[in-house]
Amino acid sequence: MTAATDLLNPSGSGFTETRSASRLFWERFREDKVALVATGVIVLLILIAIFGGPLAARLTGHPNDEQYQNLMQDSFGLPKGPNSQFLFGSDGEARDLLVRTMYGARTSLIVGVVASGIAVLIALVVGLVAGYFRGFVDTSLSRIGDVMLAMPQLLISIGIVAACSSNKDGCVIYGPIAIQPGIALVICVIVIFSWPYIARIVRGFTLSIREKEFVEASRSLGAGDFRIIFREILPNLIGPIIVYTTLLIPQSILFEAALSYLGLGVPPDVASWGGLLNDAQRFYDTAWWLMLFPGLFLVITTLAFNLLGDGLRDALDVRGDR
Amino acid sequence: MKKPIWRLTTVVGIVTAVAVAMTVSASAHSTKANTVKAGGTLNVGWEQSFGFTDNMDPTGEYLGDAFGILTNLLVRTLVSYNHDANAAGNKIVSDVASNVPQPTNGGKTYTFHLKSGIKFSPPVNRAVTSHDFVTSLQRLANPKDGGQYAFYYKVIKGWDAYAAGKAKSISGISTPNNSTIVFNLTAPTGDFLYRMSMPATGPMPAEVTKCFEGQAGKYAGDLISTAGYMINGIDKVDISSCGALKAASGFNALSLIDLVRNPNYDQKTDPTRKNYVDEVRFIVNASSTDIANKVEAGQLDMWTGSIPPSVLKKYATSSNLKQYFHQNPGDRTWYLTMNLTQPPFDDVHVRKAMNWVIDKAALRQTWGGPTVGTIANHIVPDTLFNFRLQEFTPYKTAGDHGDAAKAKAAMKGSKYSTGSSGMCDASACKNVLLVSDTRGVDPGMVATIQQDAKKIGITFKVRQINGAYPTIQTPSKNIPIAERPGWGKDFADPVTFFEPLFDGRTIIPNGNTNYSLIGITPAQCKTLKVTGDCKNIPSINSQIDKCEPLLGGPRTVCYENLDKTLMLKIVPWVPWMWSTVTRITSTNVTHYQYDQFSTTPAYSQISVK
Repeated sequence: MTAATDLLNPSGSGFTETRSASRLFWERFREDKVALVATGVIVLLILIAIFGGPLAARLTGHPNDEQYQNLMQDSFGLPKGPNSQFLFGSDGEARDLLVRTMYGARTSLIVGVVASGIAVLIALVVGLVAGYFRGFVDTSLSRIGDVMLAMPQLLISIGIVAACSSNKDGCVIYGPIAIQPGIALVICVIVIFSWPYIARIVRGFTLSIREKEFVEASRSLGAGDFRIIFREILPNLIGPIIVYTTLLIPQSILFEAALSYLGLGVPPDVASWGGLLNDAQRFYDTAWWLMLFPGLFLVITTLAFNLLGDGLRDALDVRGDR
Repeated sequence: MKKPIWRLTTVVGIVTAVAVAMTVSASAHSTKANTVKAGGTLNVGWEQSFGFTDNMDPTGEYLGDAFGILTNLLVRTLVSYNHDANAAGNKIVSDVASNVPQPTNGGKTYTFHLKSGIKFSPPVNRAVTSHDFVTSLQRLANPKDGGQYAFYYKVIKGWDAYAAGKAKSISGISTPNNSTIVFNLTAPTGDFLYRMSMPATGPMPAEVTKCFEGQAGKYAGDLISTAGYMINGIDKVDISSCGALKAASGFNALSLIDLVRNPNYDQKTDPTRKNYVDEVRFIVNASSTDIANKVEAGQLDMWTGSIPPSVLKKYATSSNLKQYFHQNPGDRTWYLTMNLTQPPFDDVHVRKAMNWVIDKAALRQTWGGPTVGTIANHIVPDTLFNFRLQEFTPYKTAGDHGDAAKAKAAMKGSKYSTGSSGMCDASACKNVLLVSDTRGVDPGMVATIQQDAKKIGITFKVRQINGAYPTIQTPSKNIPIAERPGWGKDFADPVTFFEPLFDGRTIIPNGNTNYSLIGITPAQCKTLKVTGDCKNIPSINSQIDKCEPLLGGPRTVCYENLDKTLMLKIVPWVPWMWSTVTRITSTNVTHYQYDQFSTTPAYSQISVK
């Protein structure tokens, strides 16, 4: 009896210590070395996005939009490769590829994080409302989501971006409110096609949670719909939301890269990894560095976010193996 | 010590022998690429489908690449060209007509007499008559048949009435007999002969074209040839009824055009085409790299398409490949266009400053450097003025890199430059809309333009559009500046630059090519929804009208002066390059020739092993 008690309570206190949900999460998460490394990489990328561009420009003395045709292009307009002054070589327009890649991190992360954040916010509202109220509201919102999911994303995106680029005022929504081509438009396009996935997941979770005993208890104590949604259901969605957001961010970054690769993303004067890869097409047989460096950063970023998402999912899922 | 004479003789002998051997070797080397030989098949790599502008139907096809195929190999016209390079290739010569006529009736009547012995290819197999030219011109006039440059022929009496369906024939065209055709014009037109060299005016057999009435672009698959070649399989096409008519097997608009010799063609009637090869195959291949590799390997003989800078460099610099690299004037101007109705380009000082500040050499570098063109200093390529305006370089700067100081000096007179710094410092100079394309070289050009314009205080909001032309061709979009445009001649007369690009009367709501809106009136602005200042927009309409009836030297001088007026007083463009047409050929090609009219290879003059 004593031995067994000692095994269950090695500290010798009268009660077993209870661990908070956040502590449980952290204990599980810190065991995942891959996720920790991914977190470190993302922190580093965020620092690069904030300080990398200006710092690289300062250290090299090469402003972001300055062309060095005499130094970094041959007489046939072909870019020159890495050297001691231009560590990543030059892009197709004879600008410092290192500086452009660093500035590109800013564009990619802004697009990725902001677009994912907005998409998740919309999805949360739609999913919660649809899952909680069910009936006609659920059917209407779900069908809208289904329609969005059925659309050919890339083709529609190309159409929207082209339409908004073809006149001075951009896409006029109402009166003076208009979306101008550029990062804002790219974010809008990504949001339009991203929210339905998350909304469907949120709705599923909501449908399940609203039937739980603690929700019934809350309702029987006289809690209104608003309170139940925000105090009982929403906190239980935080885990999945965080996981899916981290998985959505790399998708958004890749979508931006794809649009920029097609020449439909951010304007050509704004550095982005997709834009740099688009530029690399022209010189793929002669200028390997154009493909390598932006491509490497893109791969590392998406991989890091995906691994972090996996790690978070494992750490937040109490039914998991670990 | 004195060297023995025999030793000296031996040394001289060896040196002489080596020199002779080298000379023989060199001449053999050069003849290798210049020896004319009949027979064989010419395989041409083609980077896009043959959709072009009217699917290769001569009536509506308006692309130079297609003109090269049509005029060299399939369609003879009343007058034509020698299919040669440079000025010789821009000279009008007789083709189906027995001679080049002189206009009568004060420049308003042209009478052509037809040569005998010119026949349609199988399956038509009959002599070409003057009525066959009427058929093609009526097809060109009918808007439903797809004619894209029908505007050139509005000068023929009764053209508009026929086009509008108000007349059954074009009253200004008469055929006194089978071998004579007479054109009566509404006004003297100095370039009328050039207009009659366009492939849409070549003879067409009504017994075939009647099956394609109102079907733009459909005649191409059954094109009945009058030149040295015909579509493979056309002889097997049943023309007994329209129902039985099928496209010839050698024509597939998406993949292949296969041309073989026309058995009805009489070389004696045609001094302009040599027709060396037995067969010409135009093969579509979407990969420029693959085409380049195949040309180098001899699997294809040449390439019509944009050559990537890496391939250009390889051929231009390799001693082995240099002889297979061909450069010729493209008779095309690339330019930045500025809209005269939109701030800040509604001020001539700003437009002049832009001409001073832009680094034209840098723009050209983006395209591939000096190999791809010469720096443009005015509107019309020097080749079209026979280099008489070569010294006219109003905005020339050192190394063509732009001059910020001169630009600022020009800017000082502008209403948008409030201080004395010569900077465009008004709000109208900030975030000016610049339309660009998504084509590969455009981002590089935009970067250069932004960098240069910033030196005089102009910043841009860049809009990159996949296919920018429709946007900049719509006046209601009010685009202040665009970097995309290029314009090539239709034929070797300067009018092909001035009329479509600067005549205010030609401004239309869509597909407009007068991007600068020179000559637009307040009434047009209202109709076309053009914002901005439409009062006092300069016009050159009357000068164009004065030049148009002139012939020869006076005509050239008139257009030269117009070019000067545009560059010095109106300044609608920043012309930056006159492009060079670059082509590579395989080792199979023993003789290459360039066609200055179509600015393509002169397929009829090329021979292979």
